[in-house]
Amino acid sequence: MTSAIEVSELTFRYGGDSASRPALDRVSFECHSGAVHWLLGKLGAGCSTLLLAVAGLAPRHTGGELTGSVRVLERDPRQDAGRQALAGRIGYVTAAPSLQLSGIAATVWEEAAFAPANLGWPIERIDAAVTGALERLGVAHLRDRDPATLSGGELQRVVLAGMLALSPDVWLLDDPATALDAAGRQIFADLLRGEAARGATVLVASEDADQMLEIADRLIVLENGQLAADGSPRELVGGEWIWQHGPGSTAVAALARAAAALGPPVASLAEPYPLTIREAEARWS
Amino acid sequence: MTGRAPTLAEAAHPFTGFAVTLAITLLAFLLPAPWGPTLLYAIVLLLVMAAGVGRAARAAALICLPLWGFLFLLHAVLGGGAHLSIGPIAVSRHGLELALAQAARLGAVITATLALVRSFNPSRFLDAVGVRGWPFAPAYLLVATLQAAPRLRERVGRILEAQRTRGLNYHGSILVRIRAVLPLALPLILGALTEVDDRAMALDIRAVNSGRQRTPLSIPVDHPADRIVRWSSLLLVVAAAAWRLAGSMR
Repeated sequence: MTSAIEVSELTFRYGGDSASRPALDRVSFECHSGAVHWLLGKLGAGCSTLLLAVAGLAPRHTGGELTGSVRVLERDPRQDAGRQALAGRIGYVTAAPSLQLSGIAATVWEEAAFAPANLGWPIERIDAAVTGALERLGVAHLRDRDPATLSGGELQRVVLAGMLALSPDVWLLDDPATALDAAGRQIFADLLRGEAARGATVLVASEDADQMLEIADRLIVLENGQLAADGSPRELVGGEWIWQHGPGSTAVAALARAAAALGPPVASLAEPYPLTIREAEARWS
Repeated sequence: MTGRAPTLAEAAHPFTGFAVTLAITLLAFLLPAPWGPTLLYAIVLLLVMAAGVGRAARAAALICLPLWGFLFLLHAVLGGGAHLSIGPIAVSRHGLELALAQAARLGAVITATLALVRSFNPSRFLDAVGVRGWPFAPAYLLVATLQAAPRLRERVGRILEAQRTRGLNYHGSILVRIRAVLPLALPLILGALTEVDDRAMALDIRAVNSGRQRTPLSIPVDHPADRIVRWSSLLLVVAAAAWRLAGSMR
């Protein structure tokens, strides 16, 4: 596996106040191709800022001051040459689909084709890529609909399809499953696993431990803008540590933890907590 | 998709609507007042109805109505010079002509602009720009400006609903309405500012600034009739300008 994302001593401050606590504080890590990396942190831990910096959007669009090094596919996304080379190779999606629309598309197909068209792809290639992406996200039947008439979940699938059409080498996803329904979340999980299997690098910020545990190969935890942990998702979210330093773990782990807090220490309720219903059944039956 | 057949205005080449609207705007000020602008307004009304965007004429009339009333009061009722009687009121003859000219100009320009906005398809326009090999960014900026009004209207609706569910009352006396302005305007302005940043980032990541020539998704057909209309619009403007110039030199 090769490093598609290299972040070294990355520090970022919003605004011009150098005395304030940085949103990111000397963060260093690498992400490899062919793997799903799960980014986790409490509110304000710096996950969204980190994704913006890796995408080359911060500080260019957000303002602020960035020091340290970010390299994506061996390019610096902060520099013009790097941005030109990375155009269409990064798929960045946030939680709010309505803010990610082109604003000019009359149909879902046109919306998904927006980025490939901007890259100057031949129309045949655009059609094949967009049609395939809409099918994979389960929204092919909406191709002639006006994006403005779609629900939030449908719209998010269209946004994801628009990125998938590019076949990006790097996926940067900021809580992208929030608007999705159960079927959409399953499609999303399959998409991430499929993209990693294709060789893409996936970095996804999410607090949904139940879903990410099934998808992620590696967990990176941020706390107060600093790298707090980097390792196996199962090991990191199974213990008490994640409740102190992160936003928590799965629903089953929360239940086990609450049960353990009620009475005297019992071996079956001790750390590591069961993370899934199956694990809980195995331990408690 | 609504499934209905496109109107004449929607089916026309995207540049045709722009050319006609621009020509109407220029002609409204070039043609001799008051009958030139009045005749132009009448033609614009016929044109928008023939083009299938007659509702734009009604919307424009509603916008213009208070302005027309104000112009009539200012120029005709309060104007000086020779007066003539219209029923029980005496109005200034010169003021009436002035009011008629200005009202017709307003009507023609606003009707044509609304018809353009209502029949405008941003995607087709950008495709037409791409076919010509013109730069995408300024064209997108123009499209975004034209789209700003409907987007703002949609946002106002959402904020009104959200604030009403939070118990804000914006119906009733003038004082109640004034009190409601701040909680309605603040989220509108702040939301619009935040949206600008988010949208800029979304466009950036979607390769708007890739520096490559954008592929037209569907090439709009430029019928001979479209070209005739555009050239005729240009010729009419040039002829009117030349006529006015010649008149002023005499």
